[in-house]
Formats: sequence, structure tokens, C-alpha cells
Amino acid sequence: MNDEIKVAIVGQPNVGKSSIINALSNAKLHVGNFSGVTVEKKEVFLKRDIFDIKMTDLPGIYALNAYTPEEQVAKDFLLNEDYDIVVNVVDANTLSRNLIFTMQLLDMHKKTILVINMVDEIEKKGGSIDKSKIEELLGIPVILTSAKENRGVEEIISQIIKLHKTPLAKNKIFYNEKIEERIERLAKILRKSPHFKSNDVSRFMAIRLLDRDEDVYKMIHDLPIFIEAHNALEKMYKDLELEFDEESTTDILANERAAISYNLQMETIDLDEEEESLSEKLDNFLIHPVFGLPIFLFFMWTLFQLTFVLGNYPMNVIDAIFSETSSFLADFLPKGIFNSVLTEGVLPAVGAIVMFLPNILILFLGLNLLEQTGYMSRASYLMDGFLKRFGLQGKAFVPLVSGFGCTVPAYMAARTLKNPKDRIITMLVLGFMSCGARLPIYVLLVSAFFANHNPGNMLFFIYIGGAFLGLIVAKILRTVLFRGEPEPFVMEMPPYRFPSFKALAMDLWIKTKMFLKKAGTFIAIAAMAIWFLSSYPVDNKLVQNYHAKIEQTTNISKKQNLENELKAKLLEDSYLGSVGKFIQPVFAPLGFDWRLSIAVVTGLSAKEVVVSTLGTLYAMSGADETSKGLVSKMRQNVDFKAAVALIIIIMIYSPCLAAMGTFYAEVPQWAWRTFYTIYPNVVAWLLAFGVYKVLALMGY
Amino acid sequence: MKRISDLEIDEEAIVTKIFAKEPVKGRLLSMGIVKGAKVKVIAHTLARQTWDILSNNTKVALRDEEASSIEVKSIYE
Repeated sequence: MNDEIKVAIVGQPNVGKSSIINALSNAKLHVGNFSGVTVEKKEVFLKRDIFDIKMTDLPGIYALNAYTPEEQVAKDFLLNEDYDIVVNVVDANTLSRNLIFTMQLLDMHKKTILVINMVDEIEKKGGSIDKSKIEELLGIPVILTSAKENRGVEEIISQIIKLHKTPLAKNKIFYNEKIEERIERLAKILRKSPHFKSNDVSRFMAIRLLDRDEDVYKMIHDLPIFIEAHNALEKMYKDLELEFDEESTTDILANERAAISYNLQMETIDLDEEEESLSEKLDNFLIHPVFGLPIFLFFMWTLFQLTFVLGNYPMNVIDAIFSETSSFLADFLPKGIFNSVLTEGVLPAVGAIVMFLPNILILFLGLNLLEQTGYMSRASYLMDGFLKRFGLQGKAFVPLVSGFGCTVPAYMAARTLKNPKDRIITMLVLGFMSCGARLPIYVLLVSAFFANHNPGNMLFFIYIGGAFLGLIVAKILRTVLFRGEPEPFVMEMPPYRFPSFKALAMDLWIKTKMFLKKAGTFIAIAAMAIWFLSSYPVDNKLVQNYHAKIEQTTNISKKQNLENELKAKLLEDSYLGSVGKFIQPVFAPLGFDWRLSIAVVTGLSAKEVVVSTLGTLYAMSGADETSKGLVSKMRQNVDFKAAVALIIIIMIYSPCLAAMGTFYAEVPQWAWRTFYTIYPNVVAWLLAFGVYKVLALMGY
Repeated sequence: MKRISDLEIDEEAIVTKIFAKEPVKGRLLSMGIVKGAKVKVIAHTLARQTWDILSNNTKVALRDEEASSIEVKSIYE
């Protein structure tokens, strides 16, 4: 049996924690969730010598005074879970701010390693860091790393093993003696309780209590020592606040930690500040009061143009491959059900989806680039004033833009919003941000019905239009359902960084894998089901009648017409046709036939299914044989008004089941869940109906 | 007394008091905006609604409400 070492990796946001984890060699990465919540939990497993090292990557946390749900998860882990070693990652560029949090960690007095990352950036500026001095002052091992240059990363592992073998070193961080005296007195009271027997635990708890930590206060609330501790604490608050002339003991401790950290940085980093860095030069125009917003809009516009224009080339190739394969297999395989299922059901449907993989990847790549370079937070800064008018805040911009990628992670990104009202409003309107899965439907409809307009512009308009609609709804929700001030806006703007290609490539690869898996399993099965439902039951009498008629005619085009007529009739009488006709009255005012109605409803399971359903339904119906592509079949079968109405429905109505499930997981109140499930569909229908009527009046 | 929201772009000042309430205050403190810290205004939006502040090598975006809750004095005092 190997010796197991449990490690918690913790640090403030933007310090490069994940790039360090990516740089570890021979590591097995496991991505899951923290139990009971949807915060992503990354675990890394490593084997070295006789040791099994299990590292848990905690969400970024600024301080133990948790602020966001993610920070709460990290804090709960640090306070309650079982681990042997803390690896605290900090950014060399902002050492003193990072060390404020390190002080809080050191209060725990656990085995801790300080990893100072991005040292290359200090060195590039001609600076240096005195590693042994920091070790001496903090009393813990320090490792200088640059994940980018792959420096010092392996040393973290050997240090973990070394530290595991050595006994815990003495604590070296002490506060002002007036504070220390209170800590000791309070710890003494706590030690009377069997929960806090150890000196380290009682000291840490005492500091947390003086820091007015509500989680720790709750911990002692039901203990027999509570009254004594509470009374002592109240007096200490009062006395210390008087002695230090501060409003709260939290401020006193914060000032103490800030002063220690600042001095530590002064003593250990040798760096001449400060010519204007590249980051600042970039910011001079990227967040320029006047030009900032237009530049941002230009970036977004470019992204959508690229998505369409660049994505078009591989799209045609993929389309050709799938249709060639299906027609080859149709002739090659023996005739029968299997042949039909495969070549008429599954392959066209899966092909119709896989075709859009390039578009989706380009969009995700763009969003990832914005995130990784640090531009996303600038965008939040630029958008805050604007979003505030709609009752949202700048930080809501990140989930909103992620919503263009996929609604599921966007719901999770909304966790950065601390205020529950802000969060629920943002989540309720996230569906208006058209996700990547809806892109294929738009591309299809735009190519079919707006062929003589610039398709990139149309897409941009659809996306922006949806977003704008979402904002209006947010404003309505804010004024009608959620009164009160929006959440305050305090956000770090990390320096611009060159994106890591490895991370970008990894992310795209994971996306591709997941997408193909979905296309190969879920969508293939859905397509199969739709094929069966649309092929049965077969009315043999009808078939015989038609076959007789076909035999009689000699005219080839007439034969073809009869065959198509037969196919259309069979489809109409199929199970799917009956379902479509059953629900069609709902969509009839929008000019939808039963095929569009079915496509919209199946789209609730996953948006990709809309296109594959249309692919199956129209592939089998009577379109003339020269028009192979789905685009021209759509053009023949759907009128312009209905197509526009369909675009509007797709823009607004409920997202897919996975997204809805995520929303339910994030929002426990049934009232909101119900509201969320109903209102987008009502809004979508009403708006589509309105536009349909207006277009009809305009003579389309 | 001056507040951060009274400063101009590129102007530097020392933080003397933070009036913001918890939890905003705690967040400001953990970003390094504490009493005695030097801050510099990097940018603000056209309507002076959102502010970009540099403090100890960290850039922080604030709204007007938060910027006006931080009292500062001149670095020459």
C-alpha cells in the first residue's frame, strides 16, 4: 500500500493555478463537481516513489471572508476537509496583495508551500525575488515557478514529498501584541471545549472569530463554552476597535496583514518601478472612454463574421462527405430496414450536425481567447455602465457572453454574482443569448432565406437582437419582480497575457470530443427514433395504389412526382405526422407546417436536434430530385414569414434539457423554476406571432 | 475630503478611509485597497460611472458608488 498525500491547491483568481496543474507531467486529471454544488472540482493524481499524491484544485478565492459561492466552496474545503498539505499559489507581480490571503492561510498552521508563479515576468522587468528571505520570514518553503516556461513545477512535487516527511515547522506569523494577547485569551476559552483541544486549532478559530467570521461563529454557537466565548469576544471587539480607532476588528486584522505583506514584498522583491507596461499601453486605447466600446463591438462583430465565413469551407466538405457516404452505402448495403435507418435516418441527421462543428469551434475559440487574454474583464468594465441601466451589473457580462457559447456553463458562471437577485435575473435572461447549438439552425435558415444578404451580418443581427431583447426583459424583471439596488461592482482586471496555445487546444479538443460524442449517441438515437416514427405505420393499400399508377405512366418526371406524392402522404400518416398534426394548431398561427412544429418541439431535448429533425423530415419528403441540399428543400417548403417566426422562436424559447436541468440545480425555489419553464415560451410565441402578422401586412 | 471619484485620470492618492459596508469593504481590502495604500486612477468611462484603479500592481474596476466610498488624501500631504 502506497503512502497517500492529500494536497489542497489554493490561490487567488488569475494567479495561473490551472496552468501549473496543466504543466505537471504524468498526472491524471479528473474533472467533477464538489459534492452538492455545481462548482467544478479538478483533482490531479500523481505517483512518485512510494507516494500517491492527490491534489484538489480549489476555486479561486480572494480571502477567507468568502464573498462568492465559489469562494465559499474553497473556504468550506479548507476549514472542514481532510488534507495534509496546502499549496498556496501566488502571482509574483501582485505579491503583497496575494500574501494578505497567505497570512490568513498561515493562521491555520498547516504544512504549507508557497508557490510564487510568473517569476519570469518579474525577471523580464529586470527584477529579482529573494526566495530564502521569504522562506525565513514566513517560515515555510517557497518555490519560484513559471508555468509558462515550465520552470519549477516539478519542484512542487518533490517539495510536497519532502514536507510530508518533516514535522510541522513553528508558526512565524504574529500580529500586534495587543491582538496576540486577545487571541491567546480567546483560544484558552475555546480549548475548554473538546473540539478545539489543539493549540493550533484554537488559535486559528480565535483569529477567525476576531475576524468576525460568521461560519466559525456558527460553529461555536451550540457549544457549552458559547456564552463565555461570546461575552469575551464582544468585549474584545469593543476594546480593540477603541484602541486601534477602527470601525471593526476585521479592518484591524486586514490592516495588520496588509502591512506585513507590504513590508515582506519590499524586503524581498528588488524591482524598479515602473515604466508603462505593455498592459497599460494596451489599456490606453482598449478601455479608452470614447473608443473602448466601439473597439469591443468591432471584436464581437469580427468573431461572428469569422464564425460564418471561415466555418463555411470545412462545412461544405463535411456535408459532401456525409451525403456521398450515405448514397454510397444506400447502394452498397442490402435493401431493407437497416439500410433505410442508416442512410435516410441516422447519417443525414448526424451529418447535418457534424457539419456545424467548425462554426462552433471557431466561436468557442474566440470566447476562450477573450477570456484567457484578460480582455473579458475589460469588456465587463466597459459594459457595466450600460448593463446597469438594465438592472444588471458588469460582471453579469461574463455569463451573458458565455451564453453565446453554451447556456450550461453560463448558468454556472452566474455564480460569480453574489447578490441572489442579480443572479436570478441574469440567469432568467441567459436563454436569450443564443448558444452555439442554435447556430446551425440560424445558419440553415439564413442561408435558405436571406441568401442575398451578407449572412455574417444577419447572424450578428440575430445574436445582438437576442441579447438586446434579453436586456429589455432583465429591465422589466428588475422593475416588476426585483426591486432594490443591484450588486456592487468590484472586479479585478488582470494584466493582459498571451494565451497558452496548449490550454486553448486542450479546451477545443474536449469540446470537439463532447460534441462528436453527443452527435454520435444522443443525436443519432434521436434521429433513429424520429426516422421510425416517421416511417411507420405504412398504409399498404396506398402504396399499392401508387405503385400501380407509377407502373402505368411512362413519363419519367410524372413518375417522379407520383413517387414524391406517395412519400409525402406516407409521412403525413405516420406516427410522427399524427403528433405533428396534433400540436400543429399551436404553431399554425405562425405559419408552421407539422414538420416545423415537430422540429421545434424536439429542439427542447437539444437544439442540434432541430436541424437533424428537419434533415430527416425533408430528406424523405417530396422535394424535387435536383435539390439535394436541405437548404433548397427548406426554401421550397417553408415560406419567408414562417422562417422568420421560426428564427424568433429559436432565439427565445426554452433552452435544451441539459440547460434546464442546470438551472433547476442552481435555483432551488420552485416558483422561479416554474416561471423559468413557462415564460420564455410564451414570450417567444407572442413575439413570433406579432412579427409574422407584421410581415404579412407588409406583403411578404 | 476627497474621494476616489473626485480624482482625474493618472492622479495618485493615498487611501485614508473606506466607508463601504461589508461585504464590499472586505472585497476591497482583499484586493489590497486598504488604509495607507497608494491608488492611481487609470481610466474611467465617459460618464464617470465605472472606474479603473491601480493599487499595488493590481487593477480593480469599481463603480461610481464604490469609488465615492473611498476617502483619499494627496500623496504630498
